[in-house]
Amino acid sequence: MLESGVAPMSTESVTGLTQRLYHEARLLDAERFEDWLECMCNDVTYRMELKRRRFRADRSPPAAVGVGVVFNENLARLKLRIDRLRSGFVWAEDPPNFVRRVVSNVEVERADAENEAIVHSVIVIHRNRIDGLTRVLTAGRSDRWRMHADGWKLAAREIALDHAVLPDSNINVFF
Amino acid sequence: MDVSGLVDTATGRQSRAIYSSEELYRQELERIFGRCWLFLVHTSQIPEAGDYFRTFMGEDDVIVIRQKDGTIKAFLNSCTHRGNRICRSDRGNAKAFTCNYHGWSFAPDGSLSAVPLEKEAYFGELDRSRLGLVPVAHVAEYKGLVFGCFDADPPSLEDYLGDAKFFLDVWLDAMPGGTSLVGETQKMVLASNWKLPVENVCGDGYHLGWAHAGAMRAVQSLDLAGLSVGNSSTDLDGGLSVAGLNGHMALTSLDGVSGYAFYPKPKPMLDYLEFNRPQVIERLGKVRGEQLWGSQINITIFPNLQFLPGLNWFRVYHPKGPGQIEQWTWAMVENDMPAEIQAAILDNQCLTFGLAGLFDNDDGDNLAACTEQSRGWRTAQMDVFTNMALNRSGPREGFPGDIAAGLVSEHNQRYFYRRWQEHMQADNWAGVPTYNINSVVAEETIDA
Repeated sequence: MLESGVAPMSTESVTGLTQRLYHEARLLDAERFEDWLECMCNDVTYRMELKRRRFRADRSPPAAVGVGVVFNENLARLKLRIDRLRSGFVWAEDPPNFVRRVVSNVEVERADAENEAIVHSVIVIHRNRIDGLTRVLTAGRSDRWRMHADGWKLAAREIALDHAVLPDSNINVFF
Repeated sequence: MDVSGLVDTATGRQSRAIYSSEELYRQELERIFGRCWLFLVHTSQIPEAGDYFRTFMGEDDVIVIRQKDGTIKAFLNSCTHRGNRICRSDRGNAKAFTCNYHGWSFAPDGSLSAVPLEKEAYFGELDRSRLGLVPVAHVAEYKGLVFGCFDADPPSLEDYLGDAKFFLDVWLDAMPGGTSLVGETQKMVLASNWKLPVENVCGDGYHLGWAHAGAMRAVQSLDLAGLSVGNSSTDLDGGLSVAGLNGHMALTSLDGVSGYAFYPKPKPMLDYLEFNRPQVIERLGKVRGEQLWGSQINITIFPNLQFLPGLNWFRVYHPKGPGQIEQWTWAMVENDMPAEIQAAILDNQCLTFGLAGLFDNDDGDNLAACTEQSRGWRTAQMDVFTNMALNRSGPREGFPGDIAAGLVSEHNQRYFYRRWQEHMQADNWAGVPTYNINSVVAEETIDA
């Protein structure tokens, strides 16, 4: 059931975007960060806000300066993170952790712009870490993808992390 | 348990058992977390009557509530009937707290205001006046920071903080508008003993150039202004390690701007510092106004509060057993800062020391492995060392404390473990020494 009530995207678009998400996950699992950046629009925004736990009936106002973020990145900031991971000095990633992403619940909607699409998905990141223990992070994602001459590229991603307390010592992974 | 042989301050030695022993951990809950003043909340986080914030004192779950008269009270977050947790939200505003189990309801002042079937089932024999929420024995504020203490007879908060106030005021009282903590709480579980991150931040400038080498290189490639703290390029006299202040510490640079070196666009911050520096000098004197305000400063309030003017993060560590903590972080701002600077600080704090912090993400695994390597049958019998630059400290004109020159030293860590040992050996506050080494009379300051 499409929330927007407009005509569904073509099967070709749905298949293409779904394949794009799977491809992206495989690039990240293999730490092919530069190839992953090729999937981004130049004006990409990549955000994850902090979680909060509130009573449903709570009426307190939102935080004055802002909720705060885990990620609030543009292309340059994504590159900065990749520069750090590529530096050879990030000891928490050496030996490499075993990381596998599972992407599911893909739902494609029309966007306002003709050449764009809204894509909802769920990502599970399974990390078997250097200490031998496994951590699993789950998040929902709402993306805006834009069609370019060389295919769909990510224009915006809002990530909703499903953990009020991060069950790990770092987030050296992209969602 | 006798801890006299577990820490040797004179030689800078600690037994690894202090990071892994369950018995010592229970003793810490009693003699450190059950005795010291512990940070609860910043007044900016609960501005209105009925605003509350949930936190921990040791492993005890606590609710801190702003009262109708503006004062702040803190209570154990536990129903006085069957012990259930009464508040399950991180923070918010409430007219009452109602227990999920049987519906007992408590007012923000802690009183038991309603009990279902009070007449029918208790026959009106329940003395509600004796069943209010259990208050934290003492709650006091120092310039926006609200602390609680379980001990019946502690020193006053002012005396507890002692000469550390000299450094606290560089953040809390530099500008007339005061300070705030902003953003939601950034919470992370670390498989670390609680002392290791405190030790790391209180004095360990040594690890910066190596543990954070990846982030340093990446960030500096963006051509940021200022501070260079790689192992080879650290200016050994560019800062001070200050300790001997009742277990509190400061690690500070002295240039008045380096705190903002890791900001991608530091210019608005530097302009703010320069514009306001004259009035800060008026308020705090020349030493603090010129050399400390704007500098990168690591401030530690024993046992588990640390905040860093400059990088602008504010953090407490809640112990969850000898080998686990929850690390809670907020961004902090001066209320006089323009909104765009406050927003930039929140963003930069999240980027550098948030849950995906470029720097913060380097520390967790080291601390966890140090903890793990203290747990084995053999390793638990071994020692670890904080013996860098022994006996090279002394007074420094204009500053309180026993001071070692430079940011790379293990001077502060030795005082941290000394305080730990003093508390662990003492049966009560009467047995805990008070010391503010090389106390200075604050420079003439002008009240705002």
